[in-house]
Amino acid sequence: MDKTAHSSSDIKTASQAALLSLLNLTLLPIIAFSALLWIYNKTQPGTIARYHAELGIKTNLFAAIALFLVSALMIAFGGFDSAWTWVYVISYFTIVHTTFIIFAVWALVRSWSGEKLNKLM
Amino acid sequence: MKYKSQAVAKLYFTAAIGLFVGQILFGLIMGLQYVAGDFLFPEIPFNVARMVHTNLLIVWLLFGFMGSAYYLVPEESERELFSPMLAKLMFWVFLVAGALTILGYLLVPYATLADITMNDLLPTMGREFLEQPTITKLGIVVVALAFLYNIGMTILTGRKTVINLVLITGLIGLAVFFLFSFYNPDNLVMDKYFWWWVVHLWVEGVWELILGAILAFVLIKITGVDREIIEKWLYIIIAMTLITGIIGTGHHFFWIGTPDYWQWLGSVFSAMEPIPFFMMTLFAFNMVNKRRREHPNKAATLWALGTAVMAFLGAGVWGFLHTLAPVNYYTHGTQITAAHGHMAFYGAYVMVVLTMISYAMPIMRGNKANNERAQVLEMWSFWFMTVSMVFITLFLTGAGIMQVYLQRYSDAPIAFMAAQDKIAIFYWMREIAGLVFLVGLVLYVMSFFVKPGVKVNA
Repeated sequence: MDKTAHSSSDIKTASQAALLSLLNLTLLPIIAFSALLWIYNKTQPGTIARYHAELGIKTNLFAAIALFLVSALMIAFGGFDSAWTWVYVISYFTIVHTTFIIFAVWALVRSWSGEKLNKLM
Repeated sequence: MKYKSQAVAKLYFTAAIGLFVGQILFGLIMGLQYVAGDFLFPEIPFNVARMVHTNLLIVWLLFGFMGSAYYLVPEESERELFSPMLAKLMFWVFLVAGALTILGYLLVPYATLADITMNDLLPTMGREFLEQPTITKLGIVVVALAFLYNIGMTILTGRKTVINLVLITGLIGLAVFFLFSFYNPDNLVMDKYFWWWVVHLWVEGVWELILGAILAFVLIKITGVDREIIEKWLYIIIAMTLITGIIGTGHHFFWIGTPDYWQWLGSVFSAMEPIPFFMMTLFAFNMVNKRRREHPNKAATLWALGTAVMAFLGAGVWGFLHTLAPVNYYTHGTQITAAHGHMAFYGAYVMVVLTMISYAMPIMRGNKANNERAQVLEMWSFWFMTVSMVFITLFLTGAGIMQVYLQRYSDAPIAFMAAQDKIAIFYWMREIAGLVFLVGLVLYVMSFFVKPGVKVNA
Protein backbone atom coordinates (compact mmCIF):
# COMPACT_ATOMS: atom_id res chain seq x y z
CA MET A 1 0.00 0.00 0.00
CA ASP A 2 1.57 3.29 -1.08
CA LYS A 3 1.52 5.88 1.69
CA THR A 4 0.66 8.69 -0.70
CA ALA A 5 -2.68 7.00 -1.33
CA HIS A 6 -3.87 7.65 2.23
CA SER A 7 -5.70 10.73 3.37
CA SER A 8 -4.26 12.68 6.26
CA SER A 9 -7.31 11.86 8.41
CA ASP A 10 -6.73 8.18 7.73
CA ILE A 11 -3.08 8.48 8.79
CA LYS A 12 -4.19 10.38 11.90
CA THR A 13 -6.61 7.61 12.84
CA ALA A 14 -3.95 4.99 12.15
CA SER A 15 -1.54 6.86 14.45
CA GLN A 16 -4.19 7.07 17.16
CA ALA A 17 -4.81 3.34 16.90
CA ALA A 18 -1.10 2.54 17.09
CA LEU A 19 -0.68 4.86 20.06
CA LEU A 20 -3.59 3.21 21.88
CA SER A 21 -2.05 -0.17 21.21
CA LEU A 22 1.19 1.03 22.83
CA LEU A 23 -0.69 2.63 25.73
CA ASN A 24 -2.57 -0.58 26.41
CA LEU A 25 0.77 -2.36 26.71
CA THR A 26 2.21 0.29 29.04
CA LEU A 27 0.34 2.97 30.98
CA LEU A 28 -3.37 2.44 30.35
CA PRO A 29 -4.25 -1.25 30.06
CA ILE A 30 -7.92 -2.07 29.30
CA ILE A 31 -8.90 1.62 28.98
CA ALA A 32 -6.68 2.06 25.93
CA PHE A 33 -7.86 -1.26 24.50
CA SER A 34 -11.51 -0.16 24.81
CA ALA A 35 -10.66 3.03 22.95
CA LEU A 36 -8.82 0.97 20.33
CA LEU A 37 -11.96 -1.13 19.73
CA TRP A 38 -13.98 2.07 19.41
CA ILE A 39 -11.53 3.41 16.81
CA TYR A 40 -11.65 0.08 14.94
CA ASN A 41 -15.41 0.46 14.56
CA LYS A 42 -14.95 3.88 12.98
CA THR A 43 -12.49 2.66 10.32
CA GLN A 44 -13.25 1.45 6.80
CA PRO A 45 -11.94 -1.87 5.43
CA GLY A 46 -8.84 -1.55 3.26
CA THR A 47 -7.61 1.69 4.83
CA ILE A 48 -4.35 2.21 6.67
CA ALA A 49 -6.39 3.15 9.75
CA ARG A 50 -8.14 -0.23 9.70
CA TYR A 51 -4.78 -1.95 9.19
CA HIS A 52 -3.22 -0.34 12.29
CA ALA A 53 -6.37 -0.77 14.39
CA GLU A 54 -6.43 -4.47 13.51
CA LEU A 55 -2.72 -4.81 14.10
CA GLY A 56 -3.10 -3.15 17.51
CA ILE A 57 -5.97 -5.41 18.53
CA LYS A 58 -4.16 -8.56 17.40
CA THR A 59 -0.90 -7.48 19.06
CA ASN A 60 -2.63 -6.83 22.37
CA LEU A 61 -4.70 -10.00 22.33
CA PHE A 62 -1.61 -12.02 21.54
CA ALA A 63 0.30 -10.14 24.27
CA ALA A 64 -2.45 -10.85 26.78
CA ILE A 65 -2.25 -14.56 26.02
CA ALA A 66 1.55 -14.63 25.94
CA LEU A 67 1.88 -12.66 29.14
CA PHE A 68 -1.03 -13.57 31.39
CA LEU A 69 -2.04 -17.02 30.23
CA VAL A 70 1.50 -18.37 29.96
CA SER A 71 2.51 -16.76 33.28
CA ALA A 72 -0.61 -18.17 34.96
CA LEU A 73 0.22 -21.64 33.58
CA MET A 74 3.77 -21.32 34.89
CA ILE A 75 2.44 -20.48 38.35
CA ALA A 76 -0.20 -23.21 38.20
CA PHE A 77 2.30 -25.92 37.21
CA GLY A 78 5.32 -24.57 39.09
CA GLY A 79 3.55 -23.76 42.36
CA PHE A 80 3.06 -20.35 43.95
CA ASP A 81 5.57 -21.02 46.74
CA SER A 82 8.43 -22.21 44.55
CA ALA A 83 11.39 -19.90 44.00
CA TRP A 84 11.93 -21.44 40.55
CA THR A 85 8.41 -20.45 39.48
CA TRP A 86 9.20 -16.80 40.15
CA VAL A 87 12.57 -17.05 38.40
CA TYR A 88 10.73 -18.16 35.24
CA VAL A 89 7.68 -15.90 35.58
CA ILE A 90 9.51 -12.63 36.31
CA SER A 91 12.23 -13.18 33.68
CA TYR A 92 9.73 -14.36 31.07
CA PHE A 93 7.19 -11.61 31.75
CA THR A 94 9.78 -8.83 31.66
CA ILE A 95 11.49 -9.86 28.43
CA VAL A 96 8.29 -10.77 26.55
CA HIS A 97 6.47 -7.64 27.69
CA THR A 98 9.37 -5.48 26.52
CA THR A 99 9.44 -7.26 23.17
CA PHE A 100 5.76 -6.41 22.62
CA ILE A 101 6.42 -2.79 23.60
CA ILE A 102 9.30 -2.50 21.11
CA PHE A 103 7.09 -4.05 18.42
CA ALA A 104 4.32 -1.54 19.21
CA VAL A 105 6.82 1.33 19.03
CA TRP A 106 7.83 0.24 15.54
CA ALA A 107 4.16 -0.03 14.53
CA LEU A 108 3.57 3.50 15.86
CA VAL A 109 6.48 4.88 13.87
CA ARG A 110 5.19 3.19 10.71
CA SER A 111 1.68 4.54 11.31
CA TRP A 112 3.04 8.11 11.60
CA SER A 113 4.26 7.85 8.03
CA GLY A 114 1.09 6.09 6.87
CA GLU A 115 2.81 2.79 6.18
CA LYS A 116 2.26 -0.85 6.99
CA LEU A 117 4.81 -2.82 8.94
CA ASN A 118 7.91 -3.41 6.95
CA LYS A 119 11.41 -4.57 7.46
CA LEU A 120 13.51 -2.21 9.56
CA MET A 121 16.58 -1.76 7.37
CA MET B 1 36.76 12.84 6.63
CA LYS B 2 35.98 16.57 6.48
CA TYR B 3 38.75 17.75 8.80
CA LYS B 4 42.24 16.32 9.14
CA SER B 5 42.31 16.74 12.91
CA GLN B 6 39.37 14.35 13.34
CA ALA B 7 41.96 11.61 12.82
CA VAL B 8 43.07 11.84 16.48
CA ALA B 9 39.87 9.93 17.30
CA LYS B 10 41.47 6.83 15.74
CA LEU B 11 44.04 6.64 18.55
CA TYR B 12 41.32 6.85 21.18
CA PHE B 13 39.09 4.28 19.47
CA THR B 14 41.97 1.83 19.08
CA ALA B 15 42.85 2.09 22.77
CA ALA B 16 39.17 1.78 23.71
CA ILE B 17 38.81 -1.49 21.81
CA GLY B 18 42.01 -2.88 23.31
CA LEU B 19 40.87 -2.07 26.85
CA PHE B 20 37.41 -3.48 26.06
CA VAL B 21 39.05 -6.84 25.27
CA GLY B 22 40.89 -6.65 28.62
CA GLN B 23 37.66 -5.84 30.45
CA ILE B 24 35.91 -8.89 29.02
CA LEU B 25 38.84 -11.22 29.82
CA PHE B 26 38.80 -10.10 33.46
CA GLY B 27 35.02 -10.45 33.49
CA LEU B 28 35.39 -14.06 32.42
CA ILE B 29 38.07 -14.70 35.06
CA MET B 30 35.81 -13.23 37.72
CA GLY B 31 32.75 -15.07 36.40
CA LEU B 32 34.65 -18.33 36.84
CA GLN B 33 35.77 -17.33 40.33
CA TYR B 34 32.09 -17.10 41.31
CA VAL B 35 31.90 -20.88 40.94
CA ALA B 36 35.56 -21.90 41.37
CA GLY B 37 36.76 -19.51 44.05
CA ASP B 38 40.41 -20.60 43.87
CA PHE B 39 40.77 -20.03 40.14
CA LEU B 40 43.97 -17.97 39.60
CA PHE B 41 44.30 -17.42 43.35
CA PRO B 42 46.49 -15.88 44.76
CA GLU B 43 47.77 -14.33 41.50
CA ILE B 44 44.47 -12.62 40.66
CA PRO B 45 42.12 -12.61 43.66
CA PHE B 46 38.41 -11.98 43.07
CA ASN B 47 38.50 -8.42 44.45
CA VAL B 48 41.33 -7.52 42.06
CA ALA B 49 39.63 -9.13 39.04
CA ARG B 50 36.45 -7.22 39.86
CA MET B 51 38.31 -3.94 40.25
CA VAL B 52 40.13 -4.41 36.93
CA HIS B 53 36.88 -5.44 35.18
CA THR B 54 34.94 -2.36 36.32
CA ASN B 55 37.82 0.13 36.08
CA LEU B 56 38.70 -0.99 32.56
CA LEU B 57 35.06 -0.50 31.60
CA ILE B 58 35.07 3.07 32.86
CA VAL B 59 38.43 3.90 31.30
CA TRP B 60 37.65 2.45 27.86
CA LEU B 61 34.27 4.17 27.79
CA LEU B 62 36.01 7.45 28.63
CA PHE B 63 38.44 6.79 25.76
CA GLY B 64 35.39 6.10 23.58
CA PHE B 65 33.63 9.31 24.64
CA MET B 66 36.76 11.38 24.10
CA GLY B 67 37.39 9.79 20.70
CA SER B 68 33.76 10.41 19.74
CA ALA B 69 34.04 14.05 20.81
CA TYR B 70 37.28 14.54 18.87
CA TYR B 71 35.61 13.13 15.76
CA LEU B 72 32.23 14.78 16.15
CA VAL B 73 33.07 18.28 17.39
CA PRO B 74 35.23 19.47 14.45
CA GLU B 75 32.58 18.30 11.99
CA GLU B 76 29.77 19.98 13.92
CA SER B 77 31.83 23.12 14.55
CA GLU B 78 32.96 23.24 10.93
CA ARG B 79 36.59 23.83 11.83
CA GLU B 80 39.74 21.91 12.70
CA LEU B 81 40.23 20.79 16.28
CA PHE B 82 41.70 23.61 18.40
CA SER B 83 44.83 21.58 19.24
CA PRO B 84 45.33 18.10 17.77
CA MET B 85 48.75 18.02 19.48
CA LEU B 86 47.16 18.47 22.93
CA ALA B 87 44.66 15.71 22.12
CA LYS B 88 47.51 13.34 21.21
CA LEU B 89 49.55 14.28 24.26
CA MET B 90 46.59 13.72 26.59
CA PHE B 91 45.91 10.40 24.93
CA TRP B 92 49.34 9.12 25.91
CA VAL B 93 49.12 10.61 29.41
CA PHE B 94 45.75 8.93 29.98
CA LEU B 95 46.84 5.64 28.48
CA VAL B 96 50.06 5.44 30.50
CA ALA B 97 48.31 6.51 33.74
CA GLY B 98 45.53 3.99 33.12
CA ALA B 99 47.97 1.17 32.32
CA LEU B 100 50.11 1.91 35.39
CA THR B 101 47.01 1.91 37.59
CA ILE B 102 45.84 -1.45 36.27
CA LEU B 103 49.36 -2.87 36.67
CA GLY B 104 49.36 -1.51 40.21
CA TYR B 105 46.11 -3.38 40.96
CA LEU B 106 47.58 -6.58 39.53
CA LEU B 107 51.15 -6.48 40.82
CA VAL B 108 50.96 -5.23 44.39
CA PRO B 109 48.44 -5.65 47.20
CA TYR B 110 45.87 -2.85 47.22
CA ALA B 111 47.04 -1.57 50.63
CA THR B 112 50.62 -1.36 49.34
CA LEU B 113 49.38 0.51 46.28
CA ALA B 114 47.70 2.99 48.63
CA ASP B 115 50.99 3.39 50.54
CA ILE B 116 53.27 3.88 47.57
CA THR B 117 50.88 6.36 45.93
CA MET B 118 50.66 8.33 49.19
CA ASN B 119 46.93 7.92 49.62
CA ASP B 120 47.35 9.16 53.22
CA LEU B 121 47.88 12.72 52.00
CA LEU B 122 44.40 12.85 50.48
CA PRO B 123 42.59 9.54 51.09
CA THR B 124 40.24 8.75 48.21
CA MET B 125 40.87 5.03 47.60
CA GLY B 126 38.90 1.96 48.65
CA ARG B 127 35.49 2.79 47.21
CA GLU B 128 33.77 0.76 44.51
CA PHE B 129 34.51 2.04 40.98
CA LEU B 130 36.64 4.83 42.47
CA GLU B 131 39.47 2.54 43.56
CA GLN B 132 42.07 4.48 41.56
CA PRO B 133 44.98 5.92 43.57
CA THR B 134 44.56 9.64 44.34
CA ILE B 135 47.41 10.47 42.00
CA THR B 136 45.59 8.72 39.13
CA LYS B 137 42.43 10.63 39.99
CA LEU B 138 44.42 13.87 39.79
CA GLY B 139 45.74 12.70 36.42
CA ILE B 140 42.17 12.08 35.25
CA VAL B 141 41.27 15.64 36.27
CA VAL B 142 44.23 17.05 34.32
CA VAL B 143 43.32 15.00 31.23
CA ALA B 144 39.65 15.99 31.56
CA LEU B 145 40.49 19.69 31.88
CA ALA B 146 42.84 19.63 28.89
CA PHE B 147 40.22 17.71 26.91
CA LEU B 148 37.45 20.17 27.84
CA TYR B 149 39.71 23.11 26.97
CA ASN B 150 40.46 21.61 23.57
CA ILE B 151 36.86 20.69 22.79
CA GLY B 152 35.48 23.88 24.36
CA MET B 153 37.76 26.16 22.32
CA THR B 154 36.84 24.29 19.15
CA ILE B 155 33.14 24.80 19.84
CA LEU B 156 33.50 28.41 20.99
CA THR B 157 35.37 29.42 17.86
CA GLY B 158 33.22 27.40 15.49
CA ARG B 159 29.60 26.72 14.59
CA LYS B 160 27.40 26.07 17.61
CA THR B 161 24.93 23.25 17.16
CA VAL B 162 22.53 21.58 19.58
CA ILE B 163 24.58 18.38 19.34
CA ASN B 164 27.81 20.22 20.23
CA LEU B 165 26.21 22.02 23.13
CA VAL B 166 24.51 18.93 24.56
CA LEU B 167 27.77 17.03 24.23
CA ILE B 168 29.88 19.69 25.95
CA THR B 169 27.26 20.00 28.74
CA GLY B 170 27.49 16.26 29.31
CA LEU B 171 31.30 16.31 29.23
CA ILE B 172 31.52 19.26 31.66
CA GLY B 173 29.09 17.42 33.94
CA LEU B 174 31.27 14.33 33.72
CA ALA B 175 34.31 16.31 34.86
CA VAL B 176 32.47 18.25 37.58
CA PHE B 177 30.81 15.24 39.19
CA PHE B 178 34.10 13.34 39.18
CA LEU B 179 35.38 15.95 41.65
CA PHE B 180 33.14 14.37 44.30
CA SER B 181 35.47 11.38 44.20
CA PHE B 182 37.92 13.54 46.16
CA TYR B 183 35.36 14.10 48.93
CA ASN B 184 35.65 11.18 51.30
CA PRO B 185 33.89 11.93 54.59
CA ASP B 186 34.44 9.69 57.63
CA ASN B 187 30.70 9.23 58.14
CA LEU B 188 29.80 6.15 56.09
CA VAL B 189 26.32 7.42 55.20
CA MET B 190 27.71 10.71 53.95
CA ASP B 191 30.42 8.83 52.10
CA LYS B 192 27.90 6.67 50.22
CA TYR B 193 25.61 9.66 49.69
CA PHE B 194 28.25 11.67 47.82
CA TRP B 195 29.75 8.58 46.20
CA TRP B 196 26.48 8.29 44.28
CA TRP B 197 26.91 11.86 43.10
CA VAL B 198 29.75 10.53 40.98
CA VAL B 199 28.38 7.13 40.05
CA HIS B 200 24.66 7.84 39.57
CA LEU B 201 24.93 11.37 38.23
CA TRP B 202 27.40 10.06 35.69
CA VAL B 203 25.51 7.07 34.33
CA GLU B 204 21.93 8.21 34.89
CA GLY B 205 22.61 11.89 34.32
CA VAL B 206 25.37 13.51 32.32
CA TRP B 207 26.50 10.40 30.42
CA GLU B 208 23.00 10.19 28.95
CA LEU B 209 23.58 13.63 27.44
CA ILE B 210 26.75 12.33 25.81
CA LEU B 211 24.84 9.26 24.62
CA GLY B 212 22.05 11.42 23.16
CA ALA B 213 24.49 13.72 21.36
CA ILE B 214 26.52 10.87 19.81
CA LEU B 215 23.40 8.98 18.74
CA ALA B 216 21.87 12.13 17.23
CA PHE B 217 25.09 12.87 15.30
CA VAL B 218 25.29 9.37 13.83
CA LEU B 219 21.57 9.36 12.98
CA ILE B 220 21.87 12.67 11.12
CA LYS B 221 24.75 11.24 9.10
CA ILE B 222 23.26 7.88 8.25
CA THR B 223 19.63 8.84 7.73
CA GLY B 224 19.91 12.30 6.17
CA VAL B 225 16.90 13.42 8.22
CA ASP B 226 16.76 17.21 8.81
CA ARG B 227 18.94 18.36 11.66
CA GLU B 228 16.05 20.45 13.05
CA ILE B 229 13.88 17.36 13.58
CA ILE B 230 16.64 15.41 15.30
CA GLU B 231 17.58 18.39 17.47
CA LYS B 232 14.00 18.80 18.72
CA TRP B 233 13.97 15.16 19.77
CA LEU B 234 17.33 15.58 21.46
CA TYR B 235 16.07 18.55 23.49
CA ILE B 236 13.07 16.58 24.78
CA ILE B 237 15.15 13.51 25.56
CA ILE B 238 17.78 15.38 27.55
CA ALA B 239 15.12 17.40 29.37
CA MET B 240 13.43 14.17 30.47
CA THR B 241 16.81 12.68 31.39
CA LEU B 242 17.61 15.53 33.76
CA ILE B 243 14.08 15.88 35.16
CA THR B 244 13.94 12.20 36.11
CA GLY B 245 17.60 11.38 36.62
CA ILE B 246 18.74 14.05 39.07
CA ILE B 247 16.19 13.42 41.83
CA GLY B 248 16.11 9.80 40.70
CA THR B 249 19.47 9.56 42.51
CA GLY B 250 17.21 8.92 45.48
CA HIS B 251 16.75 5.27 44.48
CA HIS B 252 20.30 4.68 45.72
CA PHE B 253 19.54 6.30 49.06
CA PHE B 254 17.10 3.60 50.25
CA TRP B 255 18.26 1.71 53.37
CA ILE B 256 21.66 3.41 53.71
CA GLY B 257 20.82 5.75 56.59
CA THR B 258 19.38 8.71 54.68
CA PRO B 259 16.03 10.34 55.58
CA ASP B 260 12.83 8.40 54.74
CA TYR B 261 11.58 10.97 52.22
CA TRP B 262 14.13 9.61 49.76
CA GLN B 263 12.00 6.47 49.48
CA TRP B 264 9.18 8.52 47.95
CA LEU B 265 11.36 10.84 45.91
CA GLY B 266 13.59 8.03 44.70
CA SER B 267 10.65 5.79 43.80
CA VAL B 268 8.59 8.39 41.97
CA PHE B 269 11.36 10.04 39.98
CA SER B 270 13.29 6.92 39.13
CA ALA B 271 10.08 5.18 38.05
CA MET B 272 10.04 7.86 35.32
CA GLU B 273 13.66 7.23 34.32
CA PRO B 274 12.70 4.74 31.57
CA ILE B 275 10.88 7.60 29.76
CA PRO B 276 13.96 9.18 28.12
CA PHE B 277 15.20 5.74 27.08
CA PHE B 278 11.77 4.90 25.67
CA MET B 279 11.84 8.19 23.76
CA MET B 280 15.29 7.34 22.46
CA THR B 281 13.92 4.10 20.99
CA LEU B 282 11.03 5.99 19.41
CA PHE B 283 13.46 8.61 18.13
CA ALA B 284 15.90 6.13 16.58
CA PHE B 285 13.14 4.05 14.97
CA ASN B 286 11.46 7.18 13.64
CA MET B 287 14.64 8.59 12.14
CA VAL B 288 15.57 5.30 10.46
CA ASN B 289 12.00 4.98 9.14
CA LYS B 290 12.11 8.52 7.75
CA ARG B 291 15.58 8.15 6.27
CA ARG B 292 16.18 10.03 3.08
CA ARG B 293 19.20 8.09 1.97
CA GLU B 294 20.49 4.52 2.02
CA HIS B 295 23.81 4.90 3.76
CA PRO B 296 26.24 2.15 2.74
CA ASN B 297 27.25 1.62 6.39
CA LYS B 298 24.52 -0.85 7.41
CA ALA B 299 26.53 -1.95 10.44
CA ALA B 300 26.49 1.55 11.95
CA THR B 301 22.70 1.73 11.45
CA LEU B 302 22.34 -1.61 13.22
CA TRP B 303 24.48 -0.43 16.15
CA ALA B 304 22.47 2.80 16.41
CA LEU B 305 19.13 0.99 16.51
CA GLY B 306 20.60 -1.59 18.87
CA THR B 307 21.77 1.15 21.23
CA ALA B 308 18.29 2.61 21.50
CA VAL B 309 16.59 -0.74 22.08
CA MET B 310 19.15 -2.21 24.47
CA ALA B 311 19.46 1.02 26.48
CA PHE B 312 15.69 1.00 26.94
CA LEU B 313 15.79 -2.64 27.95
CA GLY B 314 18.83 -2.53 30.24
CA ALA B 315 18.70 0.93 31.75
CA GLY B 316 14.96 1.51 31.48
CA VAL B 317 13.14 -1.78 32.01
CA TRP B 318 15.71 -3.58 34.17
CA GLY B 319 16.18 -0.41 36.21
CA PHE B 320 12.44 -0.06 36.77
CA LEU B 321 12.30 -3.71 37.84
CA HIS B 322 13.89 -2.97 41.21
CA THR B 323 13.61 0.77 41.61
CA LEU B 324 10.47 1.11 43.74
CA ALA B 325 11.35 1.24 47.44
CA PRO B 326 9.07 -1.66 48.53
CA VAL B 327 10.64 -3.91 45.85
CA ASN B 328 14.15 -2.63 46.51
CA TYR B 329 13.70 -3.50 50.17
CA TYR B 330 14.18 -7.11 49.04
CA THR B 331 16.39 -6.70 45.99
CA HIS B 332 18.93 -4.11 47.24
CA GLY B 333 22.47 -5.22 46.38
CA THR B 334 21.50 -8.62 44.96
CA GLN B 335 22.33 -10.14 41.57
CA ILE B 336 19.33 -8.23 40.18
CA THR B 337 21.49 -5.11 40.47
CA ALA B 338 24.28 -6.92 38.61
CA ALA B 339 21.80 -7.93 35.87
CA HIS B 340 20.67 -4.32 35.46
CA GLY B 341 24.25 -3.02 35.56
CA HIS B 342 25.44 -5.37 32.83
CA MET B 343 22.67 -4.69 30.34
CA ALA B 344 22.44 -0.97 31.06
CA PHE B 345 26.17 -0.37 30.57
CA TYR B 346 26.24 -2.51 27.46
CA GLY B 347 23.03 -1.14 25.95
CA ALA B 348 23.57 2.52 26.68
CA TYR B 349 27.30 3.17 26.69
CA VAL B 350 29.20 0.27 25.15
CA MET B 351 26.86 0.20 22.17
CA VAL B 352 26.85 3.95 21.57
CA VAL B 353 30.66 4.00 21.52
CA LEU B 354 30.66 1.03 19.13
CA THR B 355 28.06 2.88 17.01
CA MET B 356 30.39 5.84 16.71
CA ILE B 357 33.40 3.64 16.01
CA SER B 358 31.41 1.75 13.40
CA TYR B 359 30.46 4.99 11.68
CA ALA B 360 33.71 6.92 12.03
CA MET B 361 36.46 4.31 11.74
CA PRO B 362 35.86 3.43 8.04
CA ILE B 363 35.82 7.14 7.19
CA MET B 364 39.09 7.70 9.05
CA ARG B 365 40.53 4.77 7.10
CA GLY B 366 39.54 6.39 3.81
CA ASN B 367 36.19 4.74 3.00
CA LYS B 368 32.59 5.81 3.48
CA ALA B 369 31.85 2.37 4.89
CA ASN B 370 33.65 -0.91 5.39
CA ASN B 371 33.57 -3.47 2.62
CA GLU B 372 30.59 -5.81 2.59
CA ARG B 373 32.42 -8.79 4.08
CA ALA B 374 33.72 -6.70 6.97
CA GLN B 375 30.24 -5.34 7.61
CA VAL B 376 28.71 -8.81 7.60
CA LEU B 377 31.28 -9.95 10.17
CA GLU B 378 30.66 -6.82 12.25
CA MET B 379 26.92 -7.45 12.19
CA TRP B 380 27.51 -11.04 13.29
CA SER B 381 29.57 -9.67 16.17
CA PHE B 382 26.67 -7.35 17.02
CA TRP B 383 24.29 -10.29 17.31
CA PHE B 384 26.74 -12.49 19.22
CA MET B 385 27.48 -9.78 21.78
CA THR B 386 23.93 -8.48 22.08
CA VAL B 387 22.17 -11.83 22.34
CA SER B 388 24.76 -13.15 24.81
CA MET B 389 24.34 -10.00 26.89
CA VAL B 390 20.58 -10.62 26.98
CA PHE B 391 21.31 -14.11 28.30
CA ILE B 392 23.90 -12.86 30.81
CA THR B 393 21.23 -10.48 32.08
CA LEU B 394 18.54 -13.17 32.20
CA PHE B 395 20.82 -15.58 34.10
CA LEU B 396 21.81 -12.89 36.59
CA THR B 397 18.15 -11.94 36.96
CA GLY B 398 17.33 -15.58 37.69
CA ALA B 399 20.18 -15.71 40.20
CA GLY B 400 18.91 -12.51 41.81
CA ILE B 401 15.30 -13.67 42.10
CA MET B 402 16.43 -16.95 43.64
CA GLN B 403 18.80 -15.10 45.97
CA VAL B 404 16.05 -12.75 47.15
CA TYR B 405 13.69 -15.66 47.73
CA LEU B 406 16.15 -17.85 49.62
CA GLN B 407 17.97 -15.17 51.54
CA ARG B 408 15.36 -12.52 52.24
CA TYR B 409 11.80 -13.60 51.44
CA SER B 410 11.28 -17.20 52.50
CA ASP B 411 9.96 -18.19 55.93
CA ALA B 412 13.32 -19.78 56.72
CA PRO B 413 15.92 -17.43 55.20
CA ILE B 414 19.40 -18.85 54.61
CA ALA B 415 22.79 -17.12 54.87
CA PHE B 416 24.42 -15.26 51.97
CA MET B 417 27.05 -17.89 51.16
CA ALA B 418 24.54 -20.74 51.48
CA ALA B 419 22.31 -18.91 48.98
CA GLN B 420 25.30 -18.42 46.65
CA ASP B 421 25.85 -22.19 46.59
CA LYS B 422 22.23 -22.75 45.58
CA ILE B 423 22.45 -20.33 42.64
CA ALA B 424 25.75 -21.63 41.22
CA ILE B 425 23.94 -23.05 38.17
CA PHE B 426 23.05 -19.49 37.10
CA TYR B 427 26.69 -18.44 37.43
CA TRP B 428 27.79 -21.34 35.24
CA MET B 429 25.26 -20.36 32.57
CA ARG B 430 26.32 -16.73 32.84
CA GLU B 431 29.93 -17.80 32.26
CA ILE B 432 28.96 -19.71 29.11
CA ALA B 433 27.05 -16.68 27.84
CA GLY B 434 30.15 -14.62 28.67
CA LEU B 435 32.27 -16.89 26.48
CA VAL B 436 29.83 -16.35 23.61
CA PHE B 437 30.20 -12.62 24.22
CA LEU B 438 33.97 -13.03 23.88
CA VAL B 439 33.47 -14.83 20.55
CA GLY B 440 31.40 -11.83 19.42
CA LEU B 441 34.12 -9.46 20.53
CA VAL B 442 36.80 -11.45 18.68
CA LEU B 443 34.64 -11.30 15.53
CA TYR B 444 34.30 -7.55 16.09
CA VAL B 445 38.07 -7.08 16.24
CA MET B 446 38.53 -9.34 13.21
CA SER B 447 36.08 -7.22 11.21
CA PHE B 448 38.68 -4.41 11.14
CA PHE B 449 41.08 -6.62 9.21
CA VAL B 450 38.73 -8.17 6.63
CA LYS B 451 39.67 -7.38 3.05
CA PRO B 452 37.02 -7.11 0.32
CA GLY B 453 36.25 -10.37 -1.46
CA VAL B 454 37.29 -10.88 -5.06
CA LYS B 455 34.32 -11.12 -7.41
CA VAL B 456 34.59 -14.10 -9.73
CA ASN B 457 32.89 -13.70 -13.10
CA ALA B 458 31.10 -16.80 -14.32
